Amino acid sequence: MLELRGASYRYAGYAKEVLHDVDLRLDDGEIVGLVGPNEAGKSTLCLVASGLAPASIGGTLRGTLTIDGVEAAGLATHELAERVVVGFQNPNTQRSGIAATVFEEVALGPMNLGLPVEETVERTREAIARLKLEPIVRRDPQRLSGGQSQLVGIAALLAMRPRHVILDEPTAQLDPAGTRLVGEALRALAGMGTSLLVAEHKTDLLDGLCTRVVAIDGGRIVRDGPAREILDDPALAELGVEPPARARLSRALAGLGVDAELVAATAATEAGS
Amino acid sequence: MAASAESLGAFLIGGYLGPLAILAVVLASAAIAGVAGRLVRISLLLTLPIAISVVLVSVFTRAGTHVLFSIGPFDATTEGVDFAGQTLVRLLAISTSIGLFGLTTDPRSFVLDLERRGLSSRFAFVALATLEAVPAMVERAGVIQAAQRARGLDTEGSVRARLRGVLPLVGPVILSSLTEVEERSLALEVRAFGRPGRRHLLWRVPDSGAQLAARAALLAVLLLSIGARLAGVFPSLP
Amino acid sequence: MTEAPTGTSVAVEGLVHVYPGGTRALDGVDLAIAPGEGVAIVGQNGSGKSTLVRHLNGLLRPTSGRVLVAGTDAAGRRVAHLAATVGLAFQDPDRQIFARTVRAEVSFGPRNLGRRGTKLERAVDAALDATGLVADAEANPYDLGYSRRKLLALASVLAMETPVIVLDEPTTGQDARGVARVEQIVASLAAAGRTVIAISHDMRFAAESFGRIVVMRDGRIVADGSPAEVFAEPAWPTLASTFLEPPLAARIGARLLLGSTPTEASLVTAVTGSV
Repeated sequence: MLELRGASYRYAGYAKEVLHDVDLRLDDGEIVGLVGPNEAGKSTLCLVASGLAPASIGGTLRGTLTIDGVEAAGLATHELAERVVVGFQNPNTQRSGIAATVFEEVALGPMNLGLPVEETVERTREAIARLKLEPIVRRDPQRLSGGQSQLVGIAALLAMRPRHVILDEPTAQLDPAGTRLVGEALRALAGMGTSLLVAEHKTDLLDGLCTRVVAIDGGRIVRDGPAREILDDPALAELGVEPPARARLSRALAGLGVDAELVAATAATEAGS
Repeated sequence: MAASAESLGAFLIGGYLGPLAILAVVLASAAIAGVAGRLVRISLLLTLPIAISVVLVSVFTRAGTHVLFSIGPFDATTEGVDFAGQTLVRLLAISTSIGLFGLTTDPRSFVLDLERRGLSSRFAFVALATLEAVPAMVERAGVIQAAQRARGLDTEGSVRARLRGVLPLVGPVILSSLTEVEERSLALEVRAFGRPGRRHLLWRVPDSGAQLAARAALLAVLLLSIGARLAGVFPSLP
Repeated sequence: MTEAPTGTSVAVEGLVHVYPGGTRALDGVDLAIAPGEGVAIVGQNGSGKSTLVRHLNGLLRPTSGRVLVAGTDAAGRRVAHLAATVGLAFQDPDRQIFARTVRAEVSFGPRNLGRRGTKLERAVDAALDATGLVADAEANPYDLGYSRRKLLALASVLAMETPVIVLDEPTTGQDARGVARVEQIVASLAAAGRTVIAISHDMRFAAESFGRIVVMRDGRIVADGSPAEVFAEPAWPTLASTFLEPPLAARIGARLLLGSTPTEASLVTAVTGSV
C-alpha cells in the first residue's frame, strides 16, 4: 500500500507550494485514475507519490509518504526504484539512450537492480509480451515512432515488477489500439496485486479501467471516490476535465427515454460484437 | 591493447626497421579485417598535418654536416632528412595502430566488456550515453528543422539565407536538450541507474583462446623490447 | 480571422513514398481536397498519415506520383515557398519553440513569409486571440504549461494565414479547455473558408469537427467520406481492420437502429425524431 498524508510540496527554488495538503491512498490491486486540468499539479503529484520529489529533485515536502509500511523519506532513490516506478509522457526522456535494441532497453531496469541474468531475461520477455512488442524487439529504440517509444517506455518500467506503478499520461502518443493495449496490461498488473495510479485526459480509458478516480485542481484534491461516481458527476467539465463519452451521452439522452445502462453496455463492448 | 603495444614499440625499437615492421603487421591485420583501404586513408589524413610540420622543421633545423640544399638561412641536411624519415614512419605506425583499433572495435562492446571486467557501471553509462549523444542530437535537429521550415524558414536558398536560418535551429536544439535533462535523469533514477554495486550484464563479448594468446604474445614482445632498449641492444635514437 | 485568403485545393495522385531504410510508407494514395474542406485523417500509428501530410508542404518529396498545391505541381517548389500556401502545425511544441517571448515566436512564421508592419501585428494579434494567449504575449514560452505551449505552436502557424492549414494531432495532451479551444479554432477556420486538414486519434473530435474523414491503413486510404458514411455500421469491419472504433454516438445509434449517428447532436436528433 502506498499512502500520502497531508502532502504539501514546493519545488526547489520556488516560493509557492504547488500541492496543498494532499491525501492519497493506493491499495494493492487498485487502479486509481487521476484527472484534472493541465497545470493543476497532476505531474507534481506523480513525482511526490513516487518519492522522487524530494529524494531526487529536491524541494520541500511537508506531510508523509509511506510505501508498504516504510517511510519514503529515509529511502535512497534506488531503494525507491525497487518499490515504485513512475513514468512520464515524453517518450524521448524515458529512453535511456544507451540501449542498442528494444530488448536491451526493457532489460536495463531489471539489470540495474542487480538481478541474475536468467531473471532479467524472464522479466524482460514478460514485459515485452504484455505490450506486444515482439515485432520490434530488435529495433533501435532511437528509431521508433512516438507511439512505439511510449509502449517501450512502459514495458521498461513493468519489467522491474514494481509493487506500485505511477503513470503520467501513458497513452498520450498512442492510437486507440495502443491505448487499449496499455489498458489491458495495466488491468493484468492490478490483477496480480500491483497498485496503480494513472493520470490521464482520456476519461474513456479510465472509465473502463479504474476502481477509483481522484480529481485535482490548483494543487488540491477536489474529488476522491468510486470511478463511476466521479466520472458521472456533471460538474466534472467545470473542473476542466472532459467527461467520458458514456457519461456525456447518457446525460444527453436521459430525458429522451434511452436507458443509461444501454449506453454503458454499448460503451463497454466493442463495435460489431 | 594491441594499439598501445604497437605505438610504444614504434618508439622503442628505433631506426626504420621497427616502425616499418609494425606498419607491416598493422596493415596486414587491417587487410584481414577488410578495412585496409579506409585505414590508409584515415591515417594519412590524420598524420598529414603533423607530418608536414615535422618534416619541414627536421629537414632544415636538424644539426648535421652534409648539406643537400639551402633556402635562405636554412640548410637541409641528410641527417635532417634521415630524422624526418624516421619520425614520419613512427608517426604512421602509431596512427595506423590506433586507427586499426578504432575501425575494428565496436565502441559499445568495448565499454560493456570493460564493465564486465570491473569498470563502474556509472562510468560505463556515461561512456555509452556520450556515444549515442550525437546521433540523438542529429535526429532532434532534424525534427526541429522540419518544424521551422514549415514556418517558412528557408534552408534551400542562398548561403546568406541559410546562415540566417541557424538561430531558429540551434536555439530549440540546445533548449530542448537542456529542458529534457532533468526529466531524463529522473527517468534514469526510476530505473535504478543510481544503484551502487555491480550488475549482471546480459552481454558477453566473445573472446577466444587465440585472441588471448595474441595479446600475451604482444605483451611479451613489448616487454622484451623495453628490456632490449635498456640493455642498449637497439641503435640509439637520434 | 482577418482578411486572409480563402482556402485552396490540395491533391495527391498515385503518391508513393519509400523511406531510405526501405519502408514503404505510402503505397499509391489518391486524395483530392477541395478549397474550404475540413478533412480529418485517421488511422493507426504507422499508417502513413504524417508521411502524407508532409508532402503537402514539400518537407517530403514523392518517390513516385504527384503532389498538387493550388492546382500546380509542388515538385521543384521550395518548402519555404510552399509554406505560404500550406501551414503545418507539428505535434511537439518543444521541438520548435525558440523565441524569448510568445509574441516573437508567433511572429516568426509570418515574418518569414514577408509580412511586416501593421499587417504582421494584426496577424499575430488575431492568432494570439484565437488561441487565448493574448495575456501571455510577453511571457517566455517555457513559462507556459504544456497545454498552452501547444496552443502557442498552433498560433505560430495560424498567424501565417495560409489558405490551407494542416494540424498534426492538435488535441493530444490537451485538457478539456484546450480541446474546446482547438475545436473553436477549427470551426472559425472553416467559417472563414480555409482548407483544414487534421491528423487525429480522437474519433469523437474527428466526427464532430470535420465534414470528411479519411481512414488510412498501411500506406493506403481504406475509407473516405462524411462521418455519417465512414462511421456507419456497414463500414465498421473496415475500421476494425485498422483497429479503430467508431465514436460511441455511432455505436448507440446503430444499437437503437437509428441509422448512422456519428455525432452527439445527430444521435440526439435521431432519438428525438424516433420518440
